Amino acid sequence: MTTAADAGLIVDRVVAGYGGRDVLRGVSVAVTPGEIVGLVGPNGSGKTTLVRVASRALRPREGGVRLQGEDPYGLPARRAARLVAVVPQDLAPVFSFTALEVVLMGRSPHRSAWGGAAAEDWSSARAAMEATGVHHLADRPMEELSGGERRRVVLAQALAQQAPVLVLDEPTTHLDVRHVLDLLAIVRRLTADESRAVLGVFHDLNLAAATCDRIVALHEGRVVAEGGPGEVVTRELLREVYGVEADVHPNAVTGRPVVALHPPLVGTVRAGPARAHVVGGAGRGAPCMRFLADMGFEVTAGVLHASDTDEEVASRRNLLRVSVPPFSDIDDRSAEECLALMRSADVVVVADAPFGPGNVANLRLAVEAARSGVRVVLVEGIPMAERDFTGGEASRLWSELRSSGEIVGSPDELVSLVG
Amino acid sequence: MRRAAWRFRATMVVLAVLLVVAVVLGVGLGAVGIAPGTVLSLFAWKLHLIARPDVPKSVEIIVFQLRLPRVLLAGVVGMGLAVAGLLFQGLFRNPMADPAVIGVSSGAALGAIVVILAGGAAILGGLGVAGAAFAGALVVAFVVYRLARIGPAVHVVTLLLAGIAVAAVMSGVMSVVMSFSGEQIRNIYFWILGGLSSRGWAALQVVTPIVFVGTAAAGFLVNDLNLLALGEERAAQLGVEVERTKRRTLALGSLLAAAAVSVSGVIGFVGLMTPHLLRLVIGADHRRLLPACVLAGPTILILADLASRTLIAPEELPLGAVTAVLGGPFFLYLLRRQRGARGGVLV
Repeated sequence: MTTAADAGLIVDRVVAGYGGRDVLRGVSVAVTPGEIVGLVGPNGSGKTTLVRVASRALRPREGGVRLQGEDPYGLPARRAARLVAVVPQDLAPVFSFTALEVVLMGRSPHRSAWGGAAAEDWSSARAAMEATGVHHLADRPMEELSGGERRRVVLAQALAQQAPVLVLDEPTTHLDVRHVLDLLAIVRRLTADESRAVLGVFHDLNLAAATCDRIVALHEGRVVAEGGPGEVVTRELLREVYGVEADVHPNAVTGRPVVALHPPLVGTVRAGPARAHVVGGAGRGAPCMRFLADMGFEVTAGVLHASDTDEEVASRRNLLRVSVPPFSDIDDRSAEECLALMRSADVVVVADAPFGPGNVANLRLAVEAARSGVRVVLVEGIPMAERDFTGGEASRLWSELRSSGEIVGSPDELVSLVG
Repeated sequence: MRRAAWRFRATMVVLAVLLVVAVVLGVGLGAVGIAPGTVLSLFAWKLHLIARPDVPKSVEIIVFQLRLPRVLLAGVVGMGLAVAGLLFQGLFRNPMADPAVIGVSSGAALGAIVVILAGGAAILGGLGVAGAAFAGALVVAFVVYRLARIGPAVHVVTLLLAGIAVAAVMSGVMSVVMSFSGEQIRNIYFWILGGLSSRGWAALQVVTPIVFVGTAAAGFLVNDLNLLALGEERAAQLGVEVERTKRRTLALGSLLAAAAVSVSGVIGFVGLMTPHLLRLVIGADHRRLLPACVLAGPTILILADLASRTLIAPEELPLGAVTAVLGGPFFLYLLRRQRGARGGVLV
């Protein structure tokens, strides 16, 4: 009898691999009913191997697997197939089967070799096809279906198996956005409604974070992080496990982490980073900061107002910056620190931000930096007249900066700085 | 779904009618023509349905002593070959597989020839020949299977090449054996070209139980063969003991092919064509293909045998040559069709 503690999938300190090579080196993962656990990690980290171990395709060298409390490697294939269903990446039968025939094959662990499909098999197959929205394709041959349709037929086949544990092996690869969301919505609904234990391999961290209740990150055959999406999908994980720099912040609506990757601009990364200081405000400085950072500049920023978009971007990018509280004027101490940053920079970039009494001091600091010989570049996408809320002072300072500085039309043109 | 089931039932009815027509034609046509009505009334009499019809004793002898055993033998051999072809195609996941194409038939023939030349034809009342044919078929099937397998998949090109290579070795060995065969050479030619002449009821008694039991046993494999079409890993995920299924299918296909070859020599293309034609009509489900093969295989071979003995009567064409002339072009058509695969088969 299955006890509550045994239910679902338990992978316990598994060591497994191919030939003499261990791909998994002591991996433990538990998935309880009603829960979706995402498996993430770079190529070669052992995700697919773990799927194979969990689905009785690869016997672990050490450790054990439990499906509803039973060891699948001690069971005949048919009985194991009643406990765990796998959704493969794709399915292309060599003979021309119809969608319904393929879904009915999912019932074979429940049928005898000679027996035809019983009423229960038909109803399970029909229910599975309705759940994945492919019932209207029943009589169509598989090879005539689109990739998305075929993938949903495959999902229906696995659902018809009616196993308490469901393992998804990158079920969304090569699907377009809409089919990806449809498929994951189906899986989420089934997990909740039918209390299945779901383990899914995800390549896309955003999908994993948006879909899963928990995430397990594998790296070189070991679990390196485990927990809720917010705990696992972090800048640190991306840097250490995937070796990439990325921006991770919570989605405003769902609160789940969202990963934005920044591919480095090839050929513009310089040896020994130069320093650039960005003067922004109201989000106008953010594109400059991003662009300069991507080009390999060590970027500083200020003076910024807390909770302004520019301040958020600077903080997410972990830039050295000078900030003051929202809506407050720039105090002397902050101004002094910021001027020090500007003077030691190779270039000061002044974004086309709106200037009012609260931040016009930034322009004064830029003028002072320019006077002391620092190279100043102005971004002038929007004319000063439209963003001067100081009654003329900002415009006066801007024209003084123009007389000694360089002017670009947009942040992209800052590329001339490295030419 | 209902449409597919309806189509299957309609096809089975048509195939059953065709089989009866083929049997009546096979018995009726020949040097002495016998009307279908006469043939049917004689059958009915033998089945104790009606009184003896008013036909000459000579007609009765022609029907029951000469033609019927031959027609029935053709039927049983055709059934064995068609089911063996179905099993091999399912096992190799490839519509090009066939006991003759992959060399299993040559292996069986070689086994039979060796036993005949060694003077063992009478051993166990003819079962020695069948046993040797079976051993030869099994060895070849195993060798080709191992040669054609690269990684997890069996590829059509490797399969054909391995089959051709093994069949070439077989024919080389047969040539060597033949050069030592003396006056037995005509006897051996028969094995290579295939034929059903002058076999009588005795051969039928040996081969019929094997083919029927083997076909019934194939019923246990059809579901697993469907799943194997999805790939071995997927089949395992859906509960198939893959290695066991492959071994059993290979053994059973070889048994059926060997049984057929042991009485008829090498007859190609029936095992290839029959399942494939049926797949075009009723789809790829092996659960339906098996009973359809049981009806269609005999029909095809009975008609081919009829052609072999009537086309240039009173001379007889070798049956293997007739099926090759019919089957060869069909095989080429399949090869071409595969490129833009649609329909029954995808490779």
